[in-house]
Amino acid sequence: MTAQRRARVIDSIGVWLLSAVLLVWTLLPIYNIIRVSIQEKEEVLSTSVFPIAPSPHAFSVVFRQTFWLLETFWNQMGNSFFIGITVAFLVLAIGSLTSFTISRMRIRSGWMLTNAALLTYVIPMSFLAIPFYGIMGKYGLTNNPIAVIAVEVTFATPYAIFIFQQYGASIPFELDEAARIDGASPLQVFFRIYLPLMAPALVAIGTYALLLSWNEYLYAFLLLSGGKVITVPVTLGKFLVGDEAPWNYLMAAAIVYAIPPLLIYYGFRRKMHGGLTMGGVKG
Amino acid sequence: MKRITRRRALVGASAAGAAVTAGTGLTPRRARAAGELTVWWTQGFYKAENDAVIAWMADWEKRNNTKVNLTIMNGPDVITKLIAGMQVGDVPDVVHTVTGDRFLVPRAAWNDQLEDVSDVVESQKAEFTETALISARLYNAKQKKYSYYGVPTKASSLMNSVWLPLLEDAGFSATDMPGTQDKFYDFFQTVQDKLRSKGKRIFGLGYSMAAKEADAGNLFHQFLVSYGGVGIVMPDGKLNIDDPAVRKAAITTLERLTTPFKKGYVPPGAINWGDVDNNNAFFAKQIVMTPNATISIAAAQMDKPDLYYKEIITRGVPLGNDGKPVPSVLAIAPTIIPKGSKNVDAARALLRDFIQPANLNAYLKETRARYLPVMASIVKNDPYWTDPKDPHRQVAVDMGLTKPTVPWWMSYNPAYSAVLSEQIWPQAEANITQRNMTAEQATDEAAKRIKQLFEQYQK
Repeated sequence: MTAQRRARVIDSIGVWLLSAVLLVWTLLPIYNIIRVSIQEKEEVLSTSVFPIAPSPHAFSVVFRQTFWLLETFWNQMGNSFFIGITVAFLVLAIGSLTSFTISRMRIRSGWMLTNAALLTYVIPMSFLAIPFYGIMGKYGLTNNPIAVIAVEVTFATPYAIFIFQQYGASIPFELDEAARIDGASPLQVFFRIYLPLMAPALVAIGTYALLLSWNEYLYAFLLLSGGKVITVPVTLGKFLVGDEAPWNYLMAAAIVYAIPPLLIYYGFRRKMHGGLTMGGVKG
Repeated sequence: MKRITRRRALVGASAAGAAVTAGTGLTPRRARAAGELTVWWTQGFYKAENDAVIAWMADWEKRNNTKVNLTIMNGPDVITKLIAGMQVGDVPDVVHTVTGDRFLVPRAAWNDQLEDVSDVVESQKAEFTETALISARLYNAKQKKYSYYGVPTKASSLMNSVWLPLLEDAGFSATDMPGTQDKFYDFFQTVQDKLRSKGKRIFGLGYSMAAKEADAGNLFHQFLVSYGGVGIVMPDGKLNIDDPAVRKAAITTLERLTTPFKKGYVPPGAINWGDVDNNNAFFAKQIVMTPNATISIAAAQMDKPDLYYKEIITRGVPLGNDGKPVPSVLAIAPTIIPKGSKNVDAARALLRDFIQPANLNAYLKETRARYLPVMASIVKNDPYWTDPKDPHRQVAVDMGLTKPTVPWWMSYNPAYSAVLSEQIWPQAEANITQRNMTAEQATDEAAKRIKQLFEQYQK
């Protein structure tokens, strides 16, 4: 074996080893979640790697809402959906309109808006929890999903504007100019040229905004109180305060809760592939 | 199509924003109507516990024609949310918090953020135990007075849960458990050795040692008292940590908790256990015994008679090494009225009704005796609490009500609440187990920080 060939073999062994470690590192927690969800409560902390008597019991409890902390699970799932979808829609609407206005309508000093928006990330989200709580309290919005939606939109929009602007820069201006010459209004340019070409960025940011609000805990528990308005993460948090946490129900509920964003992500993934602008100026 | 200019677009957007704002009612308004009560209540461990609160409040609502907006949430969330509410001046009318006596209430009283509830406490003063009253009597630095700023609601003290089948597996019986502090806990190291010799990977001791939540602090402080450190803060609020007896007790406590860990008699994960994890490790039979803040381990198995009556043993705090009884450190969960409550009178009325012995008893029974009454008469008048057939409840009542108890030191000085919030003693344990400090060094470092905290709370 030549030295070059030996080096190549060592390289590929290294790559395989590293990949194997990363794969185990990534999949082990997921495996553990699944393992716990199909075990009975007494077995959960057993040291066995595989479930001793696997059973779908915990999932049945979640679906039928027969455990007291999960009595309104589907209602809370609906709340999470409502908040997540609304946040995603608002972030996309505000972000895309803003980026279009700044970059395509060439608003004066628009760059300042983009930079100012990004500055909001200098302050960590958790630092603003109390001021937000105060504001929402003054407007009588505590215990109202609108409060959580407002917060999430506030935090997701600057990033959306930034990404849309960066992505929008790759869309040739000639397309706008051609449309204008053909008599298109700014709104027509926005809806017929800009938005379709921004589809990959829209899907990416929409997924980001959805996941941000889907997984939100701090603001959800701070701003929402009653069992009927809270979201699933807040309910799952309630499992961890008793002296006896039913981990199998918790994990089963977590898996059920993780399915919708996964479906949404994989459903739209194809749209995220770049290259939609390729050849857009031809012909 | 009409051409949209930039100006037109901006004007349109502003108009739309204003319309949405008006349409959704996003204008400043009062958060709730007068005559209503907003109550935040710490979630129980069992459904029946929550149901008891809900049923009683519904009944009170009817009797008093006052609507109660009750929110039940988990313990840490109640405290976080209340702190946020106090900061911005939007607070509920009544709050029941289980760990608030340790992490929030004494400092809130010091800062004049709580209503004086002396009239409520006075309505049942003769009924409350002395420790309950001491725990609820706090200092208000603004008004420069001691008063009752919390209504004692329920109590708990450290218990020891033991697996009898594991003892038997090691060749012992329940009567082999020694009765004094060091011998009692060392016994489980012997049990572990015996079990290991049979090839069983089980740990003898389930000590909670994480610098988070409450269990590690509960364990440390009960040990501190057992080794003679009860005077760490004097009743007049003065810190007494330089007292040689207290220093020695702190050093011994740290040694006695960390040495078994270092020798492998405590699960390695115990340095990261939340309050629930020692229970789970116990149920998984990873540990032979665990000290716990209540009898919740046994209570959770009440519907499994074999486990509850035969396999799980509850022991109280062992006698001191000198054979004398050691007082239990009794935590008292308070119910408070935050300053800024919109309906103080109704809040007081609600609390006065809640602490009627019959009401309090009905609620506490639904906790399956995880929590103890703060009134001796409840135990005296209801055989439930002293049922000789129950192997756990009696022990808890004995430790928390019959035998001597001492209050947590925050009632003497709220600085100790900051000591607990900062997890100074569990941190000292970590300094020994993770950073190889000696118990003396870890005690001195803890004492230094505790002194700094006490300087912030000078009367």
